[in-house]
Amino acid sequence: MQPILEIRDAVRVFKTPEGGAVRALDGVNLDVDANEFVTLLGPSGCGKTTLLRAIAGFEDLDDGQVRVDGADLRRVPAFRRPVNTVFQSYALFSHMSVARNVAYALEVAGVGKDERTRRAGELLELVGLEGMETRKPSQLSGGQKQRVALARALISQPKILLLDEPLSALDRQLRQQMQVELKNLQDEVGVSFVFVTHDQEEALTMSDRIVVMCDGRIEQTGTPREIYRKPKSRFVANFIGETNMIKVTFDGKGTATSVEGIILKVSEAAPAGRATAVLRPSDLTLSDSKNAPAHAILGKVRQEIYLGAELHYLIEADAGGEYWRVTAKDEGVGFHTGQSVALSYDPDVIHLIEGDA
Amino acid sequence: MMRRQSLFLASLLSPVTIYLGIFFIGPLAIIAVFSLLEPGLYGGVVWNFYHWNYGRMFGWADGVIEYYEPIYLKILWRSMMMAMFTVIACLIFVYPVTFWVSHLSQKRQMFFMFLITLPFFTSLIVRLYAWLMILKPSGIINDALLWIGIIDQPLDMIFTRFAVVLGMVYVMIPFMFLPVYASVERLDRSLIEASSDLGARGWQTFLKVILPQTLPGIAGGSVIVFIPSVGNFVIPDVLGGAKGLMIGNLVEQQFLDARNWPFGAALSMVIMTVVLTVMLIYALKIMRAGQNVGAS
Amino acid sequence: MWGPPDMKRFLKPGWLLLTFYSLIFFSFIYLPLAVIIIYSFNSNPMDMTSWQSFTLDWYRGLFGLAEVGPSLGTSAIYVESTDQLLKALRNSLIVATTTTIISTTIGTATAIAMTRFRFRLRNAYQGLMMMPMMMPDIVLGIGLLIFFVTLGFKLSLLTIIIGHCTFLSSYVFIVVQARMAALDPALEEASADLGANEWVTFKKVLMPQLMPGIVGGAMLAFIISMDDLVITYFIAGTDSTTLPMFIFSMLRRGVKPEINAIATLIILASLIIAVIGLYLRTRQVE
Repeated sequence: MQPILEIRDAVRVFKTPEGGAVRALDGVNLDVDANEFVTLLGPSGCGKTTLLRAIAGFEDLDDGQVRVDGADLRRVPAFRRPVNTVFQSYALFSHMSVARNVAYALEVAGVGKDERTRRAGELLELVGLEGMETRKPSQLSGGQKQRVALARALISQPKILLLDEPLSALDRQLRQQMQVELKNLQDEVGVSFVFVTHDQEEALTMSDRIVVMCDGRIEQTGTPREIYRKPKSRFVANFIGETNMIKVTFDGKGTATSVEGIILKVSEAAPAGRATAVLRPSDLTLSDSKNAPAHAILGKVRQEIYLGAELHYLIEADAGGEYWRVTAKDEGVGFHTGQSVALSYDPDVIHLIEGDA
Repeated sequence: MMRRQSLFLASLLSPVTIYLGIFFIGPLAIIAVFSLLEPGLYGGVVWNFYHWNYGRMFGWADGVIEYYEPIYLKILWRSMMMAMFTVIACLIFVYPVTFWVSHLSQKRQMFFMFLITLPFFTSLIVRLYAWLMILKPSGIINDALLWIGIIDQPLDMIFTRFAVVLGMVYVMIPFMFLPVYASVERLDRSLIEASSDLGARGWQTFLKVILPQTLPGIAGGSVIVFIPSVGNFVIPDVLGGAKGLMIGNLVEQQFLDARNWPFGAALSMVIMTVVLTVMLIYALKIMRAGQNVGAS
Repeated sequence: MWGPPDMKRFLKPGWLLLTFYSLIFFSFIYLPLAVIIIYSFNSNPMDMTSWQSFTLDWYRGLFGLAEVGPSLGTSAIYVESTDQLLKALRNSLIVATTTTIISTTIGTATAIAMTRFRFRLRNAYQGLMMMPMMMPDIVLGIGLLIFFVTLGFKLSLLTIIIGHCTFLSSYVFIVVQARMAALDPALEEASADLGANEWVTFKKVLMPQLMPGIVGGAMLAFIISMDDLVITYFIAGTDSTTLPMFIFSMLRRGVKPEINAIATLIILASLIIAVIGLYLRTRQVE
């Protein structure tokens, strides 16, 4: 099946006031399938918003193509593109009622008043805002504005819905609720969503596929599990969740040795050579050093942080090197600072990133 | 898409370009040209290059047709001094009030801001006329002073330089108030508290903390007040009489009485030079301040 | 922003003094206006600053309702004619209205261009828009006079209108630009995103959103145009006296009691416009 959205070798260069140039998009290739929820994830300035704006038509590409349903959109202005956007600021028209905001696309397209009212009602019902038709945007809460923006962007049945950090202005609780609602809404309307965020938790929760971007390039594309478990670079590993990264030399047969001499057992198949071993803090188990399992790393607790459901530890290995981060469930018995402990792990969960970097 | 945008931009900018190009740049250019032309015998101009217009003011003259007349430089100097006085008086009057207003509740701040700007919206000539009524020998100030017994003859206040400066201060007050108020309102309270905590006396805190922080507002207000004051001719005309003559009145005379347009144009060029110099100094200071902020 | 309690702590001994001074300051600002209003009801025709008794005659005289004159003393000189006054008022209204329309159009278009586009001459245009406001009135006035006379324009209401627009476009520009800068640029993108072309976006989104700024700028232009004396003074023809010029020439020929009545009416009119302006602004804020 043909992807609904194809981006080919997209390049966008911005001139800086000092006379330099920033490559906001530096040869980006991406396909999005129908009905897919794809998240563009990356730190600010990585090009994710530029990419979104290029798809919407607010930004011209210096090179490359944006194709929707096979059609090249190079000369198509924003107002003729079959995509719609939910803006970070919502961008609701404060001089119009909620219903008129939602029906704006139909009003502009010349649809009759009765039809507009009916469709706006349907969309408002879809987002759970029945009865709010006559309100002004200034009378709505942040979450309600968010829903109006969604309804407004969905009313003309776009092929792709673009969402530019739409949840960033909401408080934490509402944000988590909206994450679930957004995912459900996407299943219901059957439109491809391209969602931009810098929040890795948001990305992991909602996406079918995550696209991690850095410096105008795509670092890695994959399912949330792939991105989390098998990061292709130190950047991705670092960006998604907390992680321990140890520079090692791998012998190609299941043993990796760190600079400090710590030996790690690895089940993953990888070529011999220099590599970075990635271990999530929750993959490590702490036990008393007296009954340490085989292949355990011996060390001392340097800091303990109690977070209610979880405990975070910083462990200094006896061999030296960077402190290890360990997350444990609070099961009544904790380890205290200065105590000698053993760190154990399942060799299956260690991931190796090849290379020196 | 780029083409559409350029067309849109061009259509937005063409009215102002055409309009100001013809009716603003045009008149300024023609003043410059006229200031270097020979005045005709009965008004009008002769299209000859003629630098004596400036010579009359600045000290070169042939002594036959044109004479060097120091009075022009004197009046120019006097105008600049009066404008300076106006700036200083405005600042002194306004500065304490900006503090007072900035410590009122939000609603009252709005109200007093409104009160400050309201006179700006009433006719200038009407307000000057009111001062004519107040300052004249039988006006209320003299009446009051006579009644109290401080004086036994009415003071000559009207048609003096004092009256002109007073009138200019009165008219310019909103223009000083608004920028100074803006900077006072943004004052960082914690710095003032820190200063008093560190044992600084009130006036030390004022000199070392408050004054430097409000300096941008003071500078902005001073420029906005100075520029219209220095070339003013209505206020000296109504309140100044012969003693309060300013450079603007000279220009007016050249155009309406003496009918020596080239000389009037030369006088205007001088006013314009003063104004542009002040603005240039201000702009340079602002830019330097901006650089300092950027560097820190 | 500091709350009152902190301030009172900081300036405690001086706070009362400061309040007292500030109230005097505000009385100083309004004293002249009050004086005129009071004198406008004084029946003394010889010296309007010494109170005789209450009268409405000066107002009646203005509207041609009372035969003022002999009954109030022969030495008083009265408004030359109500016709002249009304003509000056009519001229002022024509000039101010036309000027407002033209300068609002020019100023708004320029403000939109300057805020929404980045182009090479942008800084030059910003400077150009500030210049007419900073240029001393008298320089602009005589510049326009020489310009019109040299090019053979007949001085008339039209030349006044042209002259006013040169500097009032800048005032409108400043006000609209401020509003424009406060607008979320995503509003126009949202409109385009939802299928509206530039023109529809302009009509349905940009204009309604800019309206408070445009109305504010237009009111400012109207008031300043009504009040302008210096520039008008140089470029008005013999037949195109405006209201401020009319009062100015009355003042130059000696002060007459009717001026108080005219001035009071002008004060009232401008107060009403200013209050309406403020009301509109507070309404648009919410």
